Amino acid sequence: MSTTERPTRSVWPQLEPLLSQVQRPARYVGGEDNAVVTDHADADSAWLLLYPDTYEVGQPNQGVQILYEVLNERESTVAERAFTPWHDLDALLRAHGVPLFSLEQHLPARAFDVLAFSVATELGATNLLSCLDLAGVPLRADQRDDDDPVVLIGGHVAFNPEPLAPFADVVAPGDGEEFVLEVDRVITRWRRAREAGQPWPRAELLAALARVEGAYVPGLYVPRYGPEPATGGMAPLRETAPIRNGLPTAIPKRTVSDLDDWPYPKHTLVPLTETVHERYSVEIFRGCTRGCRFCQAGMITRPVRERSKETITEMVEHGLATTGFEEVGLLSLSSSDHSEIQELATDLVKRYEGTATSLSLPSTRVDAFNVELADELAREGRRTGLTFAPEGGTDRMRAVINKMVAEEDLLRTAETAFAGGWRQLKLYFMIGLPTETDEDVLGVADLGRKVVEIGRRYGKKNRVTLSVGGFVPKPHTPFQWAAQDPPEELRRKVGLLKQRVAGERNLKLSYADPEPGVVEGLLARGDRRVAEVIQRAYELGARFDGWSECFSLERWQQAIDEVGLDRDWYVTRERGRDEVLPWDHIDAGLDPHWLWEDWQDAQRGRALEDCRWMPCYDCGVCIGLDLEHQTGHLPDGRA
Amino acid sequence: MTLDRSAVDGRLAGDVGTADRVRVRYAKTGRLRFVSAIDLSRVWERALRKAGLPIAYSEGFTPHPKVSFPDALPLGYASTGEYAELGFAEPITIGPAMRALNDAFAGGCEVLDARGVLPGERRLSKWLGRALWCLSYPPEADRAALTAAAEAVLAGDRWPVPRERKGEVTEVDLRAPLVDLAVSDEDAPRVAALLDASEPPLRPTEVHAGLAAALSTTTAPHTDHSAAAGSTLPKPRLISRTAQGAPADGGLREALSGEHLAVTAAFDATREELRLDRRDPTGA
Repeated sequence: MSTTERPTRSVWPQLEPLLSQVQRPARYVGGEDNAVVTDHADADSAWLLLYPDTYEVGQPNQGVQILYEVLNERESTVAERAFTPWHDLDALLRAHGVPLFSLEQHLPARAFDVLAFSVATELGATNLLSCLDLAGVPLRADQRDDDDPVVLIGGHVAFNPEPLAPFADVVAPGDGEEFVLEVDRVITRWRRAREAGQPWPRAELLAALARVEGAYVPGLYVPRYGPEPATGGMAPLRETAPIRNGLPTAIPKRTVSDLDDWPYPKHTLVPLTETVHERYSVEIFRGCTRGCRFCQAGMITRPVRERSKETITEMVEHGLATTGFEEVGLLSLSSSDHSEIQELATDLVKRYEGTATSLSLPSTRVDAFNVELADELAREGRRTGLTFAPEGGTDRMRAVINKMVAEEDLLRTAETAFAGGWRQLKLYFMIGLPTETDEDVLGVADLGRKVVEIGRRYGKKNRVTLSVGGFVPKPHTPFQWAAQDPPEELRRKVGLLKQRVAGERNLKLSYADPEPGVVEGLLARGDRRVAEVIQRAYELGARFDGWSECFSLERWQQAIDEVGLDRDWYVTRERGRDEVLPWDHIDAGLDPHWLWEDWQDAQRGRALEDCRWMPCYDCGVCIGLDLEHQTGHLPDGRA
Repeated sequence: MTLDRSAVDGRLAGDVGTADRVRVRYAKTGRLRFVSAIDLSRVWERALRKAGLPIAYSEGFTPHPKVSFPDALPLGYASTGEYAELGFAEPITIGPAMRALNDAFAGGCEVLDARGVLPGERRLSKWLGRALWCLSYPPEADRAALTAAAEAVLAGDRWPVPRERKGEVTEVDLRAPLVDLAVSDEDAPRVAALLDASEPPLRPTEVHAGLAAALSTTTAPHTDHSAAAGSTLPKPRLISRTAQGAPADGGLREALSGEHLAVTAAFDATREELRLDRRDPTGA
């Protein structure tokens, strides 16, 4: 394929007759309030932003919305959106030869210069391949031609890009706001040269993109492996190194230093069909220093950067006025840690009193302060359910994972909540955590029983739900070296829990199927050899692996066997200190020595304080980025 | 009729009075055809909030805005004959309020007519006993044959058509709820159908099936008409509802204006506007 022309005709005439044959056609029509439609003829560059899942799951994604606005605000740049078509439309598109399309103008994906994927979860990998395939873009970067679109991958999976490396032209770990604008300048020059009849060879384009700070071009790096061990298992990784001089040996993540300079989203898209979240969301801060050792998000988004109360208030006011949304989400990894959260919540509640506008505060700590906050937010509404995430069932377990809440505080919090009129508590836990014993597992059930007993004192119908998921170790966390429990072991532990809660009235246990965790674990800590498994699984029909009705471990196991990888070596094996990790060349700012020491502390059950109010423990991020935590908290305690 | 832009603006141009309960007639066109009735109610609620109109909320823990839709348009159909009733917390001046609402809608939804509800007036749903539909055929549909088919259907006492529900095929009588049919004098012919409300409602695709069967009978009288159904009549490219009202003299009395409409009034709506929303900048 060596056409220099981009397709310019909408596929709507071919698509429209197919829409009456598929479920929920509204997810494919676009036309939402605040969608941006720009004529491609007036543009110097065109981006297709893709979220590899359904519209309902992907549209509320904050990252995509932010980049959509940042790019569209540039006068000569077009950004449109696409999502993975559900099985029914997927089959129809293939049968009728209709390519993947954008929602705004229903242009074929190949009409765009960049296909930028936001991949939040490992289980989106096969959907990404499906999008490329439907787009008519070669799956593998080394098979792409000079004029094929650039395939860019961002989102949390970019922090271990190796399993997706052969499919990506560029990977972008970290904040995207400034990065996409810098990439856009390269794309504009590339397109101008192409339109002038002097297209750059692909190698030249990739070299130019690799010069953008934070851009990882996998084709310019090669993994080298040692000899295969005689005892079985995989050949160990020796290094992932640039193929020539002048390329960075480690790619630094991008970090936006002041969120008040980037007050996005301003005009959130208003979906025409129901999505997983329907609200105007504003990040009240980015980053987290709670230091939960399992939490990849908390580690890779450091340092803490608070958005000011003034900016948040303005954003909310404008956001509601331009959307008509009835809910505001104050997002972050631990929203009640914002130094002005109390004033912010009180102000917002007062301001929108009587307008049927609700406020939600996801990701809160387990403490009485949060019950007060929830009381405040629910002033007008019903006190149905509160959610807390103790994550571990015993004080010992919580010290290991550094989720610092003592059982008596937790019970006191539950008491405050039930006494305040809340009827239902949902408690999130993980099982399969490092050093976990059966006693720790049973601690989850025992805690649930204690909480439900407290609940009963305040109302016969008060209920508690224990929601239990299997732990998957993630890169760039102190647990990146840990062994993952195999599904059989997780099932056994769930069995213990079931026994312990059986017959307990008003205590419900819900647990996730442990099988998708195997693939999540394989992709999370896999190396470049795992890419072959992803492609094979895709060829065998894997799609929507995050959907329980679509996931099949048998299919993935077949792919693993055909490629000849040792699943346990990747998933359930504990790593040693000296092992070269597949993501070592991606620099999230964390000092590997600190990570290792924190892993040792974890195994000794030693907790670590939050550095927002305790002295710095040298995780490395602030020094490396020459930034400091931006927070109104005083160093000696809560502001 | 109503889809004429100047007429629409005319209806909502002035104050059009004040009221706290307002009945509206609105259009659902373009891409919005693929939005379900439940989703559409959310589109309305957000547009009302965005327009800053003082919509009333129900009492209770989970207040709902007082917007009621007496009838749901099946997915995929366009319409200029949809109706809703809005309850406001205080009286609003109808003209400017509806213009603000139209500005707040994304493309595809538009209020065409509105008036205050009079005290003691019949419920809106009581006004929707009859609907006027329009089936737009592609140019390869034979206009003369279609006209003959329509005449044959109207001449019959019964006209059974197959109905598929959940994989099971049953038979329904098209003739019973069918009040009138007309075929337009155009190269790409349109069929207008007046249908009485029935339970379960007759779908306009069943009108198409009846016509297809009649067409195969009239053109080839000796063939079994169910087997050949649809083989010579292409599917309509667009099906739209153009008005609803109370049954009146072989036509209907339009629910909001009280205007009498005969079956041919369906042809006044322009096809392209129903297919593509007029404010859709892409014309996708």
